[in-house]
Amino acid sequence: MGTYARRVIPPALEIRSLVKTFAAHRAVDGIDLTVHPGTFHGIVGPNGAGKSTTIGMAVGLVTPDSGQIRILGHDALRDRGLTRALTGVLPDGLDFPERLTGAELLRYSAGLRGLNRAAATDRVAELIDVLGLAKGAGTPLADCSTGTRKKLGLAQALLHAPRLLVLDEPFEAVDPVSAATIRRVLRRFVAGGGTCVLSTHSMLLVEQMCDEVTVIHQGRVVAGGPVAEVAAGSSLEDRFVELVGAEASGSAGLDWLTEAR
Amino acid sequence: MSVEPFASGPRAGTLAVIAVPARMRATMLRRSLREHPGPAVAGLVGLLAAGWLIRYALHGDQHTLGLLAGAWVLGWIVLPLLLGGGRGQVRPAHLRLEPIGGVPAAMGLLAASAIGIGPAVSLVALAALPVHAARYGAVAVLVTACGAVLLWLLGLIGSAIALEVVGHAGGPTGALLTGIFTGTAMGVAGSLWAVFPWVSVLLVAAPQEVVRGMAYVPSGWPITAVTGPTGQGVRVMATLVGIVVLCAAAYLMLVRRVITTGVPFRPRGTTAASPPGDGRSQRGWREWMPAATRAVAGRELRAWTRHPLRLQYLAFAVVYGALLAGLPLLSDVDLLLPWAGPLAVLGAAAMSAGLVGLDGTALWLPLTSPGGERAEVRGRALAWLVLVTPIGVLLAIAGVLLAPDVDPLAALSTLPALLGAGAAVPVWVSLLRVRPVADPRHPTSADNPTDIVSVLVATAAGLLAAAPVLALVIWGPSEVAPLLPLVGLFSGAAAWRGGIWLADERLTRRGPDVLAAAGQRSRPPDTVLPLTWDAQWYRENKSTAWALGLLTAGWIPVIPQGVMPLAFGIDSGWIVAGHLSGSAHTAVGLAMVGLGVVMLLAGLVLWDRRPQPGGS
Repeated sequence: MGTYARRVIPPALEIRSLVKTFAAHRAVDGIDLTVHPGTFHGIVGPNGAGKSTTIGMAVGLVTPDSGQIRILGHDALRDRGLTRALTGVLPDGLDFPERLTGAELLRYSAGLRGLNRAAATDRVAELIDVLGLAKGAGTPLADCSTGTRKKLGLAQALLHAPRLLVLDEPFEAVDPVSAATIRRVLRRFVAGGGTCVLSTHSMLLVEQMCDEVTVIHQGRVVAGGPVAEVAAGSSLEDRFVELVGAEASGSAGLDWLTEAR
Repeated sequence: MSVEPFASGPRAGTLAVIAVPARMRATMLRRSLREHPGPAVAGLVGLLAAGWLIRYALHGDQHTLGLLAGAWVLGWIVLPLLLGGGRGQVRPAHLRLEPIGGVPAAMGLLAASAIGIGPAVSLVALAALPVHAARYGAVAVLVTACGAVLLWLLGLIGSAIALEVVGHAGGPTGALLTGIFTGTAMGVAGSLWAVFPWVSVLLVAAPQEVVRGMAYVPSGWPITAVTGPTGQGVRVMATLVGIVVLCAAAYLMLVRRVITTGVPFRPRGTTAASPPGDGRSQRGWREWMPAATRAVAGRELRAWTRHPLRLQYLAFAVVYGALLAGLPLLSDVDLLLPWAGPLAVLGAAAMSAGLVGLDGTALWLPLTSPGGERAEVRGRALAWLVLVTPIGVLLAIAGVLLAPDVDPLAALSTLPALLGAGAAVPVWVSLLRVRPVADPRHPTSADNPTDIVSVLVATAAGLLAAAPVLALVIWGPSEVAPLLPLVGLFSGAAAWRGGIWLADERLTRRGPDVLAAAGQRSRPPDTVLPLTWDAQWYRENKSTAWALGLLTAGWIPVIPQGVMPLAFGIDSGWIVAGHLSGSAHTAVGLAMVGLGVVMLLAGLVLWDRRPQPGGS
C-alpha cells in the first residue's frame, strides 16, 4: 500500500486513547492503534494484556470508558449499524447458539445480516465446501470440536463479505491442514482489498502473515509497526519476550528429567 | 479421597474389586453429610414418611398400599433426576481407566448405589409390604418380604439406569420427564383442596378402577402373590424376578458400553439435527417478517425443540396448567377447565423469564449485526408466540369441550392478553436479570438457572395484562360481556408493545453489559441458612433474616386473608374480612392482598441484596 493511498483512504481501524477498567483493574490503558486498509495486522501480547478487550471494544462487544474508535472512517461508537455492516467478527471464547447445526448457524447469520436467500444459500454452501465443514455443517454446535467451531465462526464472519475482519485467536485448536486453508482464504481476502486484524499468541503466524504488528502489554502499546521493524533484527518471539519484560524460564532446574536412566 | 486404588492385574479378587466403588461412595457420602445437613434432613423426612406407610400397612387397603409402594419406587427413580442426584454418585465413567470387567463394574456400581440415605429409607418404607402381609401368616410375610426386596432392587437398578441414560445425557427425554414430573408435583400442590378429598377416599378403600389397574402394576404383586390363588402367586413373583433380571442386564450393557468404548449413552435424537440444506422449509408465512427477525425466530423455534431446559419449561407449563384446571374434577368442580389454556400460557411466560441466560454469550452475534438488537427482541417474542399460542388455544378448547356448562368467555378473553404479555415481557426480564447457565453447551435439568424474581415479574406482567378483562368480569355490568374479547386483545397488544419497547431499550443501550452478565458463569456460593436457632447468624445476616421473614409471612395476607375470602368466600374466624360485609369485605380483602404483595416484594428485594458468602 503506497503512501499516497494511505493518506486518502481512511484507516480500516483507528483507535485513540482507548481506556477500559474492570473494577480496580485497568485492562486497557490509553491504547492508540492504526490499522491500514488492505493489510494484515497482528495484535500480540501475553495473557491478560488487554488484546481481547481492545478487540471487543473495537467491534462493540465491550463498552469503552473513554476513547475513540473509527472503522473505515466512521465513528464506531456512534454509527454502530454502519460499522457493523462493514465488519466481520470472530471473538474468542464466546458461545454460539449451541442447538443449531453449523449450516443452520451460517443461515441464521446470513439472515441477521439481511442477505437475500439465494446469495445466502450459495455462500453458505461455498464456505462449507472451501473450509472443509461438511461434517460440522450437520452437527449441533454444542457437539462440534473447538477447531470446527473456529472454522464455523470464521465462515460466519466472512459470510457478508465485510471490508474489515477482526479475528481473536482464529487458529486456536485448528488442525494444520485447515489452518493452511484458512491462511489461503485470508490472504485472498486481503489481496482483494480487505483488511484483517488478528489477535494471536503465535509469533510465527505473525511473521508469516502480518504486514504490521502491535505489541500490547499491561493494557498499553509497547511496540507497533511493520513486523520487521518491531522484530529489530532478531526473531519476533525473542523481541516479544524482551518487550514484555519477561524472562523465558525453563533452562534451569528439572535435572532429574535429563539424567541418564 | 482416602480410598485405596484398584488392585491391578489378575490377583485382584472379584469381590475386592466390587467393594472399591462401594467404599468410594461411602467416603463421598460421609464427606457430603459433614458438609451439608440437607441429605440428613431429607432422610429424616423420608423416615417419617416410611413410618407412616408402615403404620398404614397395619390396617390399610391392600391395593392402595401397592399403589403407594409403587409411587415410592417411582419417586426414587425420578426424583434424583430432578435434584441433580448424579452428584456424589460413582458413575461408570469413573471406572473407565480401571482394569475391571463389565460384570464386576456393574455389580460394584450397584453396590455403591445401594449406599446412601435414599436406598436405606426406601428399604424401610417397602417393609410396609410384609407388615401388611403379617395377617396372612409367616409364609406370606416371607413371600412379600422377597417381593419387597425385588421392588427395592427394581428401584435401585432403575434409578442407576435413569441417572446414566437420562440424568447425564441432558437430552429431550430427561427434560420432558423432568418438566412433566415437576409440573405434576406443582399442579397437585396447587390443587390440594381438590386432591385431598379424593386421597381420603383412596386411603379408606381403593376405588374399583384402581383395583383393576393394580393388577398390572408390579408394586401390587407381592401382596397379590399371597392373597390370590397359588398359581397366580408363583406367576407374579416369577414375573417380578424376570423384570429385575432384565433391568440388571440392561444396566450391565450400559456399564459395559461406557467402560469399554468410553462413550456415555445418549438417547437418539439428542444430537440429531437436520442436515445442511437450503432452508427452504422456512419459506412461506414468515416471508413478511424482516430477514433478521425471521432468522432469530427460526433460531428460537429450533432451540425450543432441542434445548433440554426449554423443553422442560414447556412441559412443566402445559402439565401445570392442565392439572390446575383439571384436578378439581376429582371434587366434581369443572369451573376451572376453560382456564387450562390461560394457566398454561401464564406458566410458559413465567418459565421463559430466564431464556437469555440459557444461551450463554451467544448474544454476540446479533450485537455485531446491523439492527441485531431489534431483531433479537422481536424474533424471540414471535417465536414464543408461534409456539405457545396453539398450546394455549388447544388447551382452552379442550377445557371448553369438557365443561360445556361453564361460561368460557372470561377465560377465552384473557388468553390474548396473556399471550401478548407472555411473548414480550419475559424477553425484557431475561435481558434485565441474566442468570447464565453453567454450561450452555450441555446443560442438564440440575443446572436450571431459573430466577424467582424474574419468574414473579413475568407472572405479574401476565396478570396485569389480564386485569382489565378480569376486572370487567367481576365488577363490570353484564352489557360489556361482548366486548371482553376486544379488551383482551387490546390488553395483549399493549403488553406486547410495552414489553418489546422495554426489551429494545435494554438491549440497544446496554447490550455489552447484558453480554458481560451472560459470561459470568461462576455463581456466588449459595447462602447457607442455619437449620437450628443461631443468634449470631441472625445478627450478622439481618437483611437475609428479614427477607426470609417477609417471604414467609407475606403469604398470610395474600392467601388466607385476601384470596380465600375474595375468590372462594371462605370467612372463618381469624380472617379479618370475614367479619365485614359488602364493599368493606372486598376492600379489606384487597388491602390484605396489597399488603402481602408489598411484603413479598420487599422480601425479594432484600433477598436479592443479601450479602454473598465469601463475597466482598
